[in-house]
Amino acid sequence: MSVLLPGAAAGADDLPAPDGVTTPAAQPVPLGRSRVVLRRFLRNVPAVVGLALILLVAVGVLVGNAVSPYSATEPDLTAIGQPPSAAHWLGTDQAGTDVFTQLVHGTATSLLVGLVVGVSTPVIAAVYGCVMAYKGGRVDRSMLFVLETLIMAPSFLLVAILMAGRSAGIGVLILVLVVFGWMNTARLVRGLTSSLVQRDYVRAARYSGVRPFLIVWRHLLPNIASLTVLNVTMGIWGAILAEVSYSYIGIGVKPPDVSLGTMLASASQTVDSYPWMFWSPVIALLLITGPLALVNDGLRDAFDPSSGSGGRAR
Amino acid sequence: MSLLRFLARRLATYAVMLFIATSAAFLLAAWQFNPGRLFTTRVPRPSQAVVDRTLTSLGLDPREPVLHRYWDWLTGVVTRWDWGRSPNGASVNSQFAQRVGISFSLTLIALVLTLVIGVALGVYTAARQYRVSDRAVTSFSYLTFVLPAPVAYLAVQLLAIHANSLVGHDALYVTGISDPTVTGFWPSALDLVRHYIVPTVAMTVFGYAGYQVSQRQFLLDNVNADFVRTARATGLTRNQAILRHALRVSFIPTAQSIAFTIPALFIGSYFAEAVFNWPGLGLWSVQAMTNQDVSAATAMVAYGALIFAVGAVLADVAIVLVDPRVRVSR
Repeated sequence: MSVLLPGAAAGADDLPAPDGVTTPAAQPVPLGRSRVVLRRFLRNVPAVVGLALILLVAVGVLVGNAVSPYSATEPDLTAIGQPPSAAHWLGTDQAGTDVFTQLVHGTATSLLVGLVVGVSTPVIAAVYGCVMAYKGGRVDRSMLFVLETLIMAPSFLLVAILMAGRSAGIGVLILVLVVFGWMNTARLVRGLTSSLVQRDYVRAARYSGVRPFLIVWRHLLPNIASLTVLNVTMGIWGAILAEVSYSYIGIGVKPPDVSLGTMLASASQTVDSYPWMFWSPVIALLLITGPLALVNDGLRDAFDPSSGSGGRAR
Repeated sequence: MSLLRFLARRLATYAVMLFIATSAAFLLAAWQFNPGRLFTTRVPRPSQAVVDRTLTSLGLDPREPVLHRYWDWLTGVVTRWDWGRSPNGASVNSQFAQRVGISFSLTLIALVLTLVIGVALGVYTAARQYRVSDRAVTSFSYLTFVLPAPVAYLAVQLLAIHANSLVGHDALYVTGISDPTVTGFWPSALDLVRHYIVPTVAMTVFGYAGYQVSQRQFLLDNVNADFVRTARATGLTRNQAILRHALRVSFIPTAQSIAFTIPALFIGSYFAEAVFNWPGLGLWSVQAMTNQDVSAATAMVAYGALIFAVGAVLADVAIVLVDPRVRVSR
């Protein structure tokens, strides 16, 4: 095993040598953990391809938005239900709206929902979980009660209650998905960190007067970093699927806003007569969620210390 | 702490949580919903006075303060077990009773198939890690993960429609639960099968992946453990050692998640019922949202939370039953 953690190097008999100065050429310089993870990830071909595909979709959205001469909401009444052609690359829908333009807007909406929800829920969960574990006692118990009550209530229905009564935009959907999306991760974080709080090095830091924020930052967060990063990819993936599912049954994004979910919902009634309306959003969706699954798999392997896949680091 | 005392304390906590979750759901729904919306789509459109009178008589008047309505609803539930009324006047209690059996029967077969196929394929793929069969099965599982449930169900529905047009007549029904004109035992049984096949296949094919992937992972975590090596050293073949020793330990987390899944039988599936138009609890909850039905939405939140609590208790009991290392009572 050639991976050396900084702590292990410092425990050796001789003084830790400055990097690359006195270390013999045969003995590799120890890598930081994040470098090891990055190298392992970059060696995983499917994961890198996945990441490239997602970036390609994002660039495609920006370019498509600039290229398309049509509006995603204003129908062209002279071109109703037309198959793909040079003028309308992916055809038009029953109302005469250009499907390609809708697809660009819908993909952008889905990516936005996924990114905001996927990044903010693990952050909230990490903060909440760390505070619970660090404070302990009564604070921990009351915060756990809130957490378990939220887990117990069926979040699908609560999201639906908050979305069904209004014709609100994407902002509200994002907010609601965040509010009801962080609990399971927070419970995992608490489970992982509550055992760490009892360790000697955390106690030592505590008794020597290190501020709580620094203790959480230095000693607790690095231990839940892999969980949090994996939850970001899972969260993006889950939020995009959730948006599609909610919009599909009519309680997520609502017209005139366009998302992949609203496109699928309106296309599902007419798959036989206007197949291009249905297959365009399906393929766009698969081009986002499929690569996300690959990236998630690559990250999990890269973080897993016992994993042999992706080759050994160095 | 003995098992009984542990369970009693757990149940008391769940009861408090259930009350809070249900009350919060009522308050949110009463604050958000406008039950009068249902009447605006009627032809001829009733006058505002008629709408107001109807809603007041049902206890749904949105002009009443939310807390006042909450108190009326709560006393109704506590004293008469009356969960309120829908905007169309129907009682929530009787609508619930009509639908719970439909959800149960739709979900039962699909759930059993999902569990059996998922766990069996998980064990099979773990035993043949990285071979072609493992890669094919696991890749298919990931494919089902990346499709949203309603789209996946719709795809199965479309396939069934194409199969029907190939056969030349409607051999498989793609919506609904039964044909009311069919009579007699054997014709009814055949009718039942023709209605069940499509949703059951859809829910199974797009449902087992979670169990397959997790059971594969749990088993792989144990295949190289010391106790499995010891078992092989006593002369067992690799497959015997996996089936008799590694599987037993790796089944524990699966048993826990099964305990959480069994109660889902009584809730049904929101998306499957919406796509296949089965009038169960799942479709009812979705309709409660579009109809701005405060009472039905609250009842379903309460029911869902109750079912979750049952699942959590079952999971605690399941781990005591299947894990010989856990001892609760002394």
